[in-house]
Amino acid sequence: MPVPKTYRAEGLVVKNISFGEADLLVTLYSRESGKLKAVAKGARRSNSKMVGHFEPLTVAKLSLARGRSLDIVNQVEVTENFSSLKSDLITLARGLYVAELVDGFGSEANSNQPLYDLAVETLGAIQQHPSWELILRRFELHLMRVSGFMPELFHCVDCRKPLEPEQHRFSPDAGGTLCLNCTPYGVQIRSLSLRALKVLRLLHRSRIADLPQLQAHKTLEQEVKSLLSTTLSYWMDKEIRTNSFLNHLEYCPKAEVSS
Amino acid sequence: MTTEHLPSAAPSLARLIQELNKLPGVGPKSAQRLAYFIIRLPNEEAFDLAEAISAVKHNIVFCQECQNLTDTDPCTVCTNPQRSRDQICVVEDPLDVLALERTHCYHGLYHVLHGVISPLNGIGPEQLKLKELFPRLANNDVKELVIATNPTLEGEATAMYISRHLEGANIKVTHLARGLPVGGSLEYSDELTLSRAFQGRQQV
Repeated sequence: MPVPKTYRAEGLVVKNISFGEADLLVTLYSRESGKLKAVAKGARRSNSKMVGHFEPLTVAKLSLARGRSLDIVNQVEVTENFSSLKSDLITLARGLYVAELVDGFGSEANSNQPLYDLAVETLGAIQQHPSWELILRRFELHLMRVSGFMPELFHCVDCRKPLEPEQHRFSPDAGGTLCLNCTPYGVQIRSLSLRALKVLRLLHRSRIADLPQLQAHKTLEQEVKSLLSTTLSYWMDKEIRTNSFLNHLEYCPKAEVSS
Repeated sequence: MTTEHLPSAAPSLARLIQELNKLPGVGPKSAQRLAYFIIRLPNEEAFDLAEAISAVKHNIVFCQECQNLTDTDPCTVCTNPQRSRDQICVVEDPLDVLALERTHCYHGLYHVLHGVISPLNGIGPEQLKLKELFPRLANNDVKELVIATNPTLEGEATAMYISRHLEGANIKVTHLARGLPVGGSLEYSDELTLSRAFQGRQQV
């Protein structure tokens, strides 16, 4: 049967790049067919019918025509644009972090609906609960789960014995936790406190609504954040760019201007 | 493209084609067409072009005040006594200054950031001309900062970053109105643009 010349998709815009004179090359993570790249002709012109529809962190329904190398967007309708999330710098930065990870872990022509649902659910939760930083930690862990990179949290990845309730170690490249007796050759190993391991296990099985019951001390949060960030960078095989902006916002001082 | 790909072209012509090919949007075929066009130009026009490129590279500098590209430092806008000193308009790049000047609506000073915060592309605040902006605002003459970044996600992020830095400062921070373009259509506007247009409605 011949492949239809046009098709429909619903997706989250994860990035856009200026293309040609007034076009946009849009990268979407779609519910139906995973990561898609398509050209929106003339979308940068202020009088274009598509202007403003392809900002990152926008969920849109599209009608596309298959092209030789890149598909062309014929029509677009925004279904959710997370406007409250985009009106605060911190939540916007967190949203862009989600978009970068979805772009990094999503693959083209491979549908992964759980990944799409997780991304959209996480963006909605960031918008609704701007102060819950653990939303991002839960997202990171579940992103690895739905992409097939879930780290082992209950057994030693080397000897396969169940972990005892004590201080452990963690190796992103070995695939998760290590007991104190095992030291596989040539892998990166870091320490993992028992409390951090418990937080990771809790995040693994919690829904977003359960997160307020999870109270973690700042130091413990930092340990979990650093561990997950290292693991994600390892699997993406590159630095997570939005992370440095998030860190900058956390520590940046106010400008010295007369008041 | 290297000169080896053009065995029949004279070395000086091949070099010109190679250099033109480096320009954005100019492919190998366009580079060849441009090179042959330059060859056919009268000598004085071709030398004018070469001299203009040379002059721009020798003379253009950043204005120490507004960071715009200029022949003279400070630039003519910053030294113009007729310009109002109590307003600074922040723009993304020098072309935005030209666009705003064409409106004849604004008579204050400018500050050119030379980019916008784009976390997805690894561009943070430290890569923009922001550290040159904040000392200018410490001067008590400045009463209003008009943020005229593009209404894109990156432009909005930059505007929010600047206003976050100026929280508590005795400066009015404004940004250009958001909404429907002249000649646009309600039916095809996205909901964010429409809601911004509605929030910024004015009495007729």
